[in-house]
Amino acid sequence: MTSAIAVSGLVKAYGPVRALDGLDLTVDAGEVHGFLGPNGAGKSTTIRILLGLIRATSGSAGLLGGDPWADAVELHRRLAYVPGDVELWPNLTGGEAIDVLGRLRGGLNDKRRNELIERFELDPKKKARTYSKGNRQKVALVAALSADVELLILDEPTSGLDPLMEAVFQQVVAEAKAAGRTILLSSHILAQVETLADRITIIRDGKVVESGTLAQMRHLTRTTVVAETASTVTGLDQLPGIHDPKVAGGRVRFGVDAEHLGAAIRHLTTFGIDSLVSHPPTLEELMLRHYAHKEAA
Amino acid sequence: MTTTVSPARSRTGSKPAGSHLTGTGAMVRLALRRDRVKLTLWLVAITALVPRFYYAAVTAVVPTPEALAEASQMIRVSFMRVLGGPLFGDVTTRSYFLAAYWVEFLLAAAIMNIMLVTRHTRAEEQTGRAELVRAAVVGRHAQLTAALIAALIGNAALAVLTTAATISIGFPFGSALLFGASLAAVGLVFAGVAAVTAQVTEHPRGANGLAGIVLVTVWLLRGAGAMQGQEGGPLFWLSPIGWSQQTRVLAGERWWPLGLSALVAALLVAGAYSLVSRRDLGASLVAPRPGRASAPSWLRSPFTLALRLQQGAIAGWGAAFVAIGFILGAMTGGMEQTNLPIFAADADFGRAWLSLMVFTGSLYTGAFAVLSVIRLRAEEVRGRIAPVLAGPTGRPTWYWSSLLVTALAVVVLPVVYGAALGIGAAVSTGDLGLAGEVVRASLIRAPEVLVLLAVPAALLGLAPRAMNAAWAVLVYSGFIQILGPYMKLPDWLVNTSVLSHLPWHPMGAFAPVATVVLLAIAAVLTILGLYGLRRRDLASG
Repeated sequence: MTSAIAVSGLVKAYGPVRALDGLDLTVDAGEVHGFLGPNGAGKSTTIRILLGLIRATSGSAGLLGGDPWADAVELHRRLAYVPGDVELWPNLTGGEAIDVLGRLRGGLNDKRRNELIERFELDPKKKARTYSKGNRQKVALVAALSADVELLILDEPTSGLDPLMEAVFQQVVAEAKAAGRTILLSSHILAQVETLADRITIIRDGKVVESGTLAQMRHLTRTTVVAETASTVTGLDQLPGIHDPKVAGGRVRFGVDAEHLGAAIRHLTTFGIDSLVSHPPTLEELMLRHYAHKEAA
Repeated sequence: MTTTVSPARSRTGSKPAGSHLTGTGAMVRLALRRDRVKLTLWLVAITALVPRFYYAAVTAVVPTPEALAEASQMIRVSFMRVLGGPLFGDVTTRSYFLAAYWVEFLLAAAIMNIMLVTRHTRAEEQTGRAELVRAAVVGRHAQLTAALIAALIGNAALAVLTTAATISIGFPFGSALLFGASLAAVGLVFAGVAAVTAQVTEHPRGANGLAGIVLVTVWLLRGAGAMQGQEGGPLFWLSPIGWSQQTRVLAGERWWPLGLSALVAALLVAGAYSLVSRRDLGASLVAPRPGRASAPSWLRSPFTLALRLQQGAIAGWGAAFVAIGFILGAMTGGMEQTNLPIFAADADFGRAWLSLMVFTGSLYTGAFAVLSVIRLRAEEVRGRIAPVLAGPTGRPTWYWSSLLVTALAVVVLPVVYGAALGIGAAVSTGDLGLAGEVVRASLIRAPEVLVLLAVPAALLGLAPRAMNAAWAVLVYSGFIQILGPYMKLPDWLVNTSVLSHLPWHPMGAFAPVATVVLLAIAAVLTILGLYGLRRRDLASG
C-alpha cells in the first residue's frame, strides 16, 4: 500500500515555541485516518503544512507523492480541504461560494453538489454573512465532497453540526471511502472517529503519543471487569496485571492489562460467577488518559 | 416566538426601568478601553488639524493682506460657498480659517461619531459579541446607552481639545469654546443618527453607509443653502452642519443654534431606544434578501472572483467620483473669473483649477488602491484565502488576479472621474473640448496611482503586519505635493513624494520619462511583493 501522507520528524517553530516537535504521521491510500489531540496540540499546524500554507522548520512532509510546499498547485488538484473555522466571503451566497471553490479546483460534479445541498439541508440562496457556523461548515463540506479528488483533508469538519447532520456527514464520508478516497479526519467527536477511522494518530504538544488501529490501542490498555460472584473474591492482588481491585461482598471491580485478562477470568470462575461485564476502553477513555498526562506533567 | 413582539414593554410594568441599564457602567469602561487608541487618534488628528490648517491659511494660501482679500473674495463667490464659507464679519486670517476649513472639522466630527456608535452597537451584534455580553447581567439598553455615553465623552474631549487648539492660534476664550461646542454638537447629532441606523440594517457596514448618506444629505443641504445667500439661506437651516456654523464664531456669536442640534440629537436617541426595545437582538428592520442559489457562469477563476469581491467597492467609488467630479467641474466657469496665487503658474485659471482637481482625483484613487490592496491582507487573516489556495490556485495566480482587478479599477476610475469633471466643466464654461482634455489629463496620472497600489502590494509580501504604512506613503506624498511649494521645501525632499513627478501645468502635459520610471517602480514593487508572498507563512484563519 502506498502512503497518501508521509510525514516524519516534522518541526514547526515560532520563535522559541515549538508548535510541532518531531511529528510523524503516515496515512495509507484508501484509509480514513483519525487525527486526534487536545486543543493546541498541533493538528491544524500539521494540516497547514500539508496544504503548503506554511512551511515546516525542519523534517519532511510528503503528500500524494509530492512536496506540499513546492508542488502545492499540482497537488491541490487532487485534494479537497474543509477547515474547522470556515470563513466565507460575506457578500456571496452559499451556493456561489460552493461553485467558486469547486470551479477554482477545475469544476465540480453538479449532480453531486445539488444532492449534497439537499442532504445537508443547506439553503444556498442566503448570503454567507447570515450563515451560522454550522451552515458555513456545510458550504465547505459540500464544496469539498462534490469534488472528484483522491484525498480529503477535514479539520474538525463537523464541530458546528447538529447530530442529524453529523449522521449525514458520517454516511457521506463512508461513501467517499467506499469510492476509494483517502481521508485525514481531525476531530474532537470521538464517536465519529471510532465509527469512521481505520487508524488513529493521537498527538500532544506537537508529538505523536500513540498511533495505530483502535484495536491495537485497546490491546495496549487495560480492560475493566465488573463481576458478581457467589463467594467473596480473594487473592486478586496476587495476580499480575491487576489494577485498583475493589471488592465489596459478592461484587468485584478491577482493571486488567489485556495480556492478563484470561488468567484473571479463570481466577474469578473459582468463586462462582453470577454475572460478568467486561469492556475494552472506549476511545474516550484512551484520549482522557493522554490528555490527563498534561496536568500530571 | 411570542416574546419577540415587544418584550421590553411587557416587562417595564413589573420591573424598574433601571434594570434595562444594568451593567452600563462596565460597558462604558469596556468601550473606552477598546477605543483607547482609535478614539485618541481621532481626537488628536482633528485637533492637530486646527493649527495645521491655520498655518496653511496664514502662510501658504494667503501670505499677504492682498492675497487674503483676494481669497476672501473667492470664498464669497456663490459656487465656492458650497464647499467653504460662509465668511461672517470682517476678513481676518482667523475668520478666513473658519470660512475655509470649518466644514471639514464638522464633517470629521460627524464621521468620528458615526463610526464610534456603530462599532459599539451593530458591529457588536453582528459579530455575536453582543450575545455573549447580554447573556451576562447586562440590561437590554446597556449597550446602546454605553455607546452613547462613550460618544458623549468623546465629544466632550473633542470640544475641550479643539477649544485649546483654537486658543493657541489666537481665538478669544469664548469664541474658542463656541467653536469646540459647534464640533461636539454635530458630533452628538451624528451619534444619534448612527444609533438609529444601527437598528435598521443587519450589518455594521450598512449602518455606517446609511448614516453616511444622511451626512452627505445634510452636507448637500448646507451647500444648497449656502448658494441661497451670502450668510446661508433657508436650506442652510435644515442642516446640523449649518446650525453649528450659524453660531457665527468671531462675528456676532450666538449659542442658541446649538440648541437645535441638541434637540435633534435627543429626538434621534429617543427614536433609537424605541427601536431597540421593539426588536430582537441581532435582528434588523430591513431583512436581508435571498441571493442566487448558484454562481453565475462567469464566476470561475481567481480573477473573476477578485472582480466579484470588489465590484461593490468599485461601483461605489465610481458613483462618488461621478457626483464629486461633476460638482467640482461645474465650478470651473466661476473659477475663470478669480485670481489666486496658487494658480500663478498658469494664466488660464479654469484649466489650472481643473488640473488641481485632476490631481485631487489621483489622491482619491490612490486611497481606493491602498484600501483595495489592504483588503487582501484581511482575506488572508480572516482565513478566506485558505480554501482558495488549498485548491489548485497558486499564490502568484491569486496575487496577480487580485492586483489586476485593482489596477484596472485604478485606470477606469480616473476616466470616470475625469469624464464627470470634464462634463461639469464643459457645461459651466460652454467649452465642450474640455471634457476630452480632462479625461486625458486624468488618465495620464494613472502611473503615480499604480505606484501607490504597488506599495501595499510589496508590503503584503514583505511586511504584512505593516500594511498600514501604505497609508503613510499616500498621506505623505499628498502632503508634500500640496504644501511643498508654499513651505519652500528643497527639491530632493519634494521628489520623495510619489505624486510629485508628473507635471500639473499645462493640464495634460505628458512626461514620458517620469511615466516610464513610475511604471518601472510599480512593477518592481509588485514583483518584490510576490517574492515575499511566495516565501512566507500565511496567517492562520
